[in-house]
Amino acid sequence: MADHLSIFLENKPGKLEKVTHVLADANINIHFISVASLGEFGVIKTIVDKPDIAHKALKEHHFTVSQKKILIAAIDDRPGNLHELLALFSENDINIEDCYGFPIKEQGKVGIVIEADAYPKIETVLASHHIHCIDLNEIT
Amino acid sequence: MFWEKEIETISSSDLKKLQLIKLHHTIEKAKKSDYYKKILKKTKISTLKDIESLPFTSKQDLRDHFPYGLLAEDLTESVRLHSSSGTTGNPTVVFHTKEDIELWADLVARCMYMTGVRKHDVFQNTMGYGLFTGGLGFHYGAEKLGMLTIPVGPGNSKRQIWFMQQFSTTAVHILPSYAIHLYSSFQELSLDPKKDTRLKTAFIGAEPHTNALRVQIENLYGIKAYNSYGLSEMCGPGVAFECPQQNGMHIWEDHFYVEIIDPKTGQILPDGEEGELVLTTLKRSAMPLIRYRTRDLTRIINEPCLCGRTHRRIERIKGRSDDMLIINGVNIFPMQIEQTVMQFPGVGNNYRIEILKENHMDRINVLIEVHEEIFNGTLSKLDQLKNQIIEALKSECGVTPKVKLVEPESLPINEGKAVRVFDMRRNEEE
Repeated sequence: MADHLSIFLENKPGKLEKVTHVLADANINIHFISVASLGEFGVIKTIVDKPDIAHKALKEHHFTVSQKKILIAAIDDRPGNLHELLALFSENDINIEDCYGFPIKEQGKVGIVIEADAYPKIETVLASHHIHCIDLNEIT
Repeated sequence: MFWEKEIETISSSDLKKLQLIKLHHTIEKAKKSDYYKKILKKTKISTLKDIESLPFTSKQDLRDHFPYGLLAEDLTESVRLHSSSGTTGNPTVVFHTKEDIELWADLVARCMYMTGVRKHDVFQNTMGYGLFTGGLGFHYGAEKLGMLTIPVGPGNSKRQIWFMQQFSTTAVHILPSYAIHLYSSFQELSLDPKKDTRLKTAFIGAEPHTNALRVQIENLYGIKAYNSYGLSEMCGPGVAFECPQQNGMHIWEDHFYVEIIDPKTGQILPDGEEGELVLTTLKRSAMPLIRYRTRDLTRIINEPCLCGRTHRRIERIKGRSDDMLIINGVNIFPMQIEQTVMQFPGVGNNYRIEILKENHMDRINVLIEVHEEIFNGTLSKLDQLKNQIIEALKSECGVTPKVKLVEPESLPINEGKAVRVFDMRRNEEE
């Protein structure tokens, strides 16, 4: 289990730095960060070690933040495996808002971050196919 | 010289006689409407001055008695309606009988003829057709005069230029701001309107503009540009128009009874003093209006005009005595914009609307602070909101706005100001 913090930002120089500044001051460790932009504005998504504290700190600094539950599915690092996972979602009519992966070296696995709205259906689907969802502290 | 010499050069005493007769007709006609029935019940007019005892009619009265309250003819006699923009509050709706339309066309023909255009001219109308009276008013007038009329409508600069070149357009009806904008399109095509078109006359109006802007248009195109005044409540364009002297607009006093008042006290002001223009229709059938407050600020020039016309002139419009905005020729009230934006959940009070000039054209910028109520973490939702606001404003105001989503705390705090619409255009000109 983990959380995505999504932060609304105007697409201007120095904006991203303001976010990392607040997080650094609050002693938050950033595991992942991504930026999606629509020209004049964008959304920063980040996974941090203490999402609740980070959320509070950002709000105090007048950022608009949305906190959303995500799943990190651990799958074997081999060809076709991501496809099998996604096929599972597709069969069950689960829509993915956001998805990306990262290697978990020591386990020979890949963590697939999934942001979707279909809780708890998605968890049930994953469990019934014996796909393990990991906690952040398992990998950090 | 004259479209209708006798009436255009009528003596002051004959005009007064004519006006009194027409005023009687108008009052009798108006009494047939639900609204004026009560107000004019005991009205007795024996001299023109007696009109001063009658109450003013305001835009609000038109709204309050929407849609048929001021209709003085059976609806079956009406052949047309025109309406102000949008559906917020009640728009002001004006009805026309067949005769009203004919008289209006004749009036616009009189205006255009006065500037020197004739039957052999080719007239290109770049104003909007539809509920707005600017397009159709000139269209009918131009056809009445006998010109080849090209109803291009607004926008699409390349097509405008193509028509001007292909059909040797000599006269255009154009927003002054669009005339400047269009010139840059000529430049982009490496064309010079002075050499590459046959243009000689422009009718400019529907938005306030300075004499300096008129001169600029004349110089860029090598033409004469004539100022036009009108409002849909009276008929549309054609109420007042510049003659070749280009020094004030003759206001057609055989069609309208003219007063200038102090907008604060309602006191009638003498000729020459600046105030609000108040008009009474003298020839309209479907919807006569008595002492209608136009909210336009001007003054009367009563010195004789060198052109020989005896109808007094009004100076170019100085501004408004209410908060109405004119955006690319479209009349909009700030409340219309505000109510449209505020209907979106979560937008609340976190917005600011700016009207500014961009590339010589008016533009509405809507700045919205993104708070948690409208942010679910996805870009798509924000993009969707942005597009919905654009569509809603486009349908309400007929102007495509630019919506900017900004961070919280980035808009200046409103100091108890109810209105969040800021017209920045004037500041830019100064």
